[in-house]
Amino acid sequence: METAQSVSGVEMAVGLSPFQMGLSRIRRNRGAIIAFWIVVFYVFVAAFAPVLVKLLNIDPYSLDREAINDFGLPAGPLGGVSWDHPFGVEPGTGRDILGRLMYGARISLLVGTIGTILTTTVGVTLGIVAGLRRGFIDSLISRLGDVTLAFPSLLLIIALANPMTQRLESWGIPAGNTARITYILTVLTFFGWVYMARLVRGQVLSLREREFVEAARSFGAGTGHLVFKQLLPNLWPQIIVFVSLSLPGYVALEATLSFLGVGLLAPAASWGIMLGDSVRYYRADPTYLFIPGLTLMALVLAFNMLGDGLRDAFDPRSDRQQL
Amino acid sequence: MIFFVLRRSIFGILLLLIISAFTFWIFSALPSDPAALTCGKNCRPEVIEANRERLGYDKPLIEQYGSYMKGIFTGRTYGEEGAAVHCPAPSLGYSYDRHECVTSLIASTLPVTASIALGAFVLWMAIGVGLGTLAALKRGKWQDRVATAFSVIGVSLPTFFLGLIFIMVFVIWTGILPFPRYVGLTDNPFEWFMALILPWLVLAIISAATYVRMTRNGILEVMNEEFVRLGLAKGLPRRRLIVRYVLRAALVPIVTIAGLDFAFLLGGALVTESIFNMPGLGKLTLAAVVNSDLPILVATTMVAAVFIVVANTVVDILYGYLDPRVRVK
Amino acid sequence: MKKRSKVLAVAALLGLVAGACGGDSGGAQSGEESGGRSATMDGVKDGGTLYVLTYQEGASTLDPQRVYTGAELGAWGSTFTRTLTSYKPVAGSDGTTLVADMATDLGTASDDLKTWSFTMRDGILWEDGTEVTCADIAYGVSRTFAAEVTAGEGPMYALSYLDIPEGDSDFGSAYPGPWLADADQQAIFDEAVSCDGKTITFKLKVPVADFNYTVGLLAFAPVPKAQDTADQYGLKPFSNGPFKVESYEEGKELVLVRNENWDKSTDEIREPKVDKIVWQFGLDEAVIDERMLADSGDDKNAIVYGGILPENLQTVFGDDTLKDRRTDGFDGFVSYTMFNVESVSCVEVRQAVWLALDREALRTAAGGPFTGEFAKSFVAPLLAADYEPAELVDGLNEDGTPNVEAAKAKLEEAKAKCPEVHAKATEDGLRFDHPDSDTWKKNIAIWIESLGAAGIKIVDNPIEPSKYYATINGDRGDLMRAGWAADWANASTVIPELFGEGGGFNYHNNEGDPAFAEFQAKVDEAKAETDRGAQSKLWKELNQYVIDQVWSIPGSATKAQNLVGSNVRGAYQWLPFGWYNLGGIGLAG
Repeated sequence: METAQSVSGVEMAVGLSPFQMGLSRIRRNRGAIIAFWIVVFYVFVAAFAPVLVKLLNIDPYSLDREAINDFGLPAGPLGGVSWDHPFGVEPGTGRDILGRLMYGARISLLVGTIGTILTTTVGVTLGIVAGLRRGFIDSLISRLGDVTLAFPSLLLIIALANPMTQRLESWGIPAGNTARITYILTVLTFFGWVYMARLVRGQVLSLREREFVEAARSFGAGTGHLVFKQLLPNLWPQIIVFVSLSLPGYVALEATLSFLGVGLLAPAASWGIMLGDSVRYYRADPTYLFIPGLTLMALVLAFNMLGDGLRDAFDPRSDRQQL
Repeated sequence: MIFFVLRRSIFGILLLLIISAFTFWIFSALPSDPAALTCGKNCRPEVIEANRERLGYDKPLIEQYGSYMKGIFTGRTYGEEGAAVHCPAPSLGYSYDRHECVTSLIASTLPVTASIALGAFVLWMAIGVGLGTLAALKRGKWQDRVATAFSVIGVSLPTFFLGLIFIMVFVIWTGILPFPRYVGLTDNPFEWFMALILPWLVLAIISAATYVRMTRNGILEVMNEEFVRLGLAKGLPRRRLIVRYVLRAALVPIVTIAGLDFAFLLGGALVTESIFNMPGLGKLTLAAVVNSDLPILVATTMVAAVFIVVANTVVDILYGYLDPRVRVK
Repeated sequence: MKKRSKVLAVAALLGLVAGACGGDSGGAQSGEESGGRSATMDGVKDGGTLYVLTYQEGASTLDPQRVYTGAELGAWGSTFTRTLTSYKPVAGSDGTTLVADMATDLGTASDDLKTWSFTMRDGILWEDGTEVTCADIAYGVSRTFAAEVTAGEGPMYALSYLDIPEGDSDFGSAYPGPWLADADQQAIFDEAVSCDGKTITFKLKVPVADFNYTVGLLAFAPVPKAQDTADQYGLKPFSNGPFKVESYEEGKELVLVRNENWDKSTDEIREPKVDKIVWQFGLDEAVIDERMLADSGDDKNAIVYGGILPENLQTVFGDDTLKDRRTDGFDGFVSYTMFNVESVSCVEVRQAVWLALDREALRTAAGGPFTGEFAKSFVAPLLAADYEPAELVDGLNEDGTPNVEAAKAKLEEAKAKCPEVHAKATEDGLRFDHPDSDTWKKNIAIWIESLGAAGIKIVDNPIEPSKYYATINGDRGDLMRAGWAADWANASTVIPELFGEGGGFNYHNNEGDPAFAEFQAKVDEAKAETDRGAQSKLWKELNQYVIDQVWSIPGSATKAQNLVGSNVRGAYQWLPFGWYNLGGIGLAG
């Protein structure tokens, strides 16, 4: 407990808000801190990729004929690692891998972030509505969630990828990767809202019985006030934890879809596309598999560790049992 | 109790109908023309039109859906007269690309997927529950940390990456295992087993990661319960307490979730099957995607959904049996 | 015929023996290798099981009227489906000599070349012991007309040659195929293809000098009506050859066993050696390469359908001990990029695209010189009679690198002469339709980059491989890719098919081009020319004509490499089909 000077100068114990408590707890979690900085690093690289590639002189789009031999394989050892190409080159075209990884980070983080924002928004909204309203609407939303979860999501996402993308294009969304990303985000939201909604609903149900809500109500507070001033501040911890744990899932999903060939299209530099391509060259150029693979894994791992740290820090039902 | 079971079952069937309708609709209302795919290289617009009529694609969607559902119960004939093919019940469609009844395709690929799912299930429960229990027992100590680390890393591994690495290590570098190629259980049990080890491991490790966490937390939560505190206060040894009483209580929700996950896997572990070249439902689906083979896609989606819904219903009924409070809703 | 393109390989297991990592070519050069000892019959014993390893999930089809893949035409023809005529089963250009198979000779033609007759040999039996009759052949031919069954997957020569009037069947013919035809319609067909005892007579609506080659296609193979299961016939066809289909399961395997009812005395062509042929489907490409290199156990008796991965070519061709097991040569295909002549109607723009294209980078991305040579003709070099390298556009670099200045100069000319097309190419961009695959993802990047250097924009339009041809049939971009090989040893199956009026594979929309009329007139002249030498000369001139017009950009005369097990014999490249004489392969030891 912190202490503070009251008006009269007497030292008083001042309680910390849950947020502050959580923050101090997480500061003590070394793993989470490292993970946090790794995430920041990735975000930085993604944000400044165009500048960075110019600085380092590694253009992800230009073909470097010198770097590959007559068979289309990288000419140097370790997949063509050299001063010109710190992480090697792509077989067949000679494009720089580090540059492509940087641009790939943009795509991965873009899809992950927007997907999470959308899922969270829809999920939180529906969760609050279901929790507050009870009755028929609650039933409806819950049932909707059940039905959505009953679908084999990955299967549908893959099966519908091409036709739905065409459908989107015919509705006027720019063809190519814009349509593809729109499709991916749409299905992510469609299948992802349920978990957030359930979580929020549960929280809302328990929160609404608490005194402060009763009190606010008795003062004539409207629903808007209720939601924004009473409920949401108490929901933030759950939401943050959920966000940090679903983001890596979405990043991995985009990579998996691109790996299977139903994600993004060339010449976009998605990590999934690179990994899918790298499989053929494993024998001659294993670096091409490892480097993007480890890059992807590192980001996902960092997010997961961060999320775990946040959950340990903020979730009141954390596993710090006193036994 | 009977009413409860009935209610849940009816809801399950309703769910299946909704899903089948939705699946049918979404695959039929796509811009790509299913009739166009029945035609080869020398396709002309007239041929496509004729095929559309012949295969019933020009009929209203409701009618197509009706025929499709009816075919599940009575079998269906595709094409006409001499060139007709009859698919016996339950007919899930006819693949023009493969010239085969979809039901027989699914029947031949399902055992492969089931083999993968079953073995993976056993393994991940063993690893997940085992490690999770260990972590709970040795909470705070290095075993706990290792288990947690395993959990976090396992969850972060993309399936295809782990699969590729395993192949590198176990098949290529060390040669311990042969190149995975599926052999039927009845054909050669030993080879069946050897071929499936890698897919099992890959799936198990990634799934177990979640279960380690769940088991650990589940056990620790139950430990907080009154009856456990009582037992401890009375002097029961901690380990015995955990293994005999706590574990059982903690496992109920875990096993049910595992059941749901297992059902999900039955729909086809798409990525695993493709990496290891296992001719299961997942691979069938992926091939159908590449070939735009809509009848197969519709059927596999529905079959996968059936597994999930059935598992969900069974779980609900079990919970209702175990916890009477649930029935009164 | 169409090349069996490598569809989206979803994932590949990779094999790694003691391979070097990348590095330079290490002396492995691409040349012509015919397989050394494996192509001879040295030490062959009767019996044994031959394995065929392939990454593909299944054959494209076993239905004779639907087959259109070169390798399968040869494979099924040499094992279970005989035809009136076939090719000499030898290596080299002798292998393109036509010989009589079920017929007693190479057929008799009327003077106007519109009526052809063939007499069948005696004693040819189906696998159940019944005789193969003339009616069976007629029935087989009639199946091509059935749009709802064969669906236009096989060659359509029956439709374009036979004297059957136009009508309103799905294919535009008066005869809708044996399942839908009523008595009158069937009579029309029976007029065009008639049987008299053992003699079958074909009445054609146009003079065809080489019709005896046409009947060598499996589309003219017999099918017994009683055994025809229509759409499913391709899963279990009936055999009249030395092998019959025992079982076929897609994704797993195809098993061919000996047909006891095949009589050697009726068959001068086939010399079967093995007892059983087993195709294993769905194997991983890299795994196949590793197994063939390891050459152990049953793999000594194995051949491959699908070639060698480019990454492994160094290993295979750098190792002299493999000389007796590997082949390297042209596969009879030419890949090219088609222009939609209607929308890119300016020849200067087309020339500019050609000059700016980095063909060398494209070839390297595909795997280097082993994948083929820069094509100078749409006729493959293997078709020696009709092949002649043409004069290519002025300024084109021999080594395949782009000539950006020449391209820019052409664009300047185009700007003056045809400003709308110029604007389209430089501002809106030319839409490039192509099948979607990992290789094409890189190819398109090369196209965009190299053409961009000259100021030409390319808009990428990947299409799902299985729907590619169906899609461009309806909706054509400005550029499309394709590959083609002659259906038999005559460029009459190349030039008119690809560029001519009514050509089965003509996606160029070139009928409206000012240069077309002259072209078509000459094509008609060539098709009617009975003197083969004169005809060859005409084809060569026509090839030059097409090249001058740049209706298509010739890409590669593609090559194929293959590796066989050390016990395999008789595995020579059978030129008409671009793969082995499957039925004639034997095993030593």
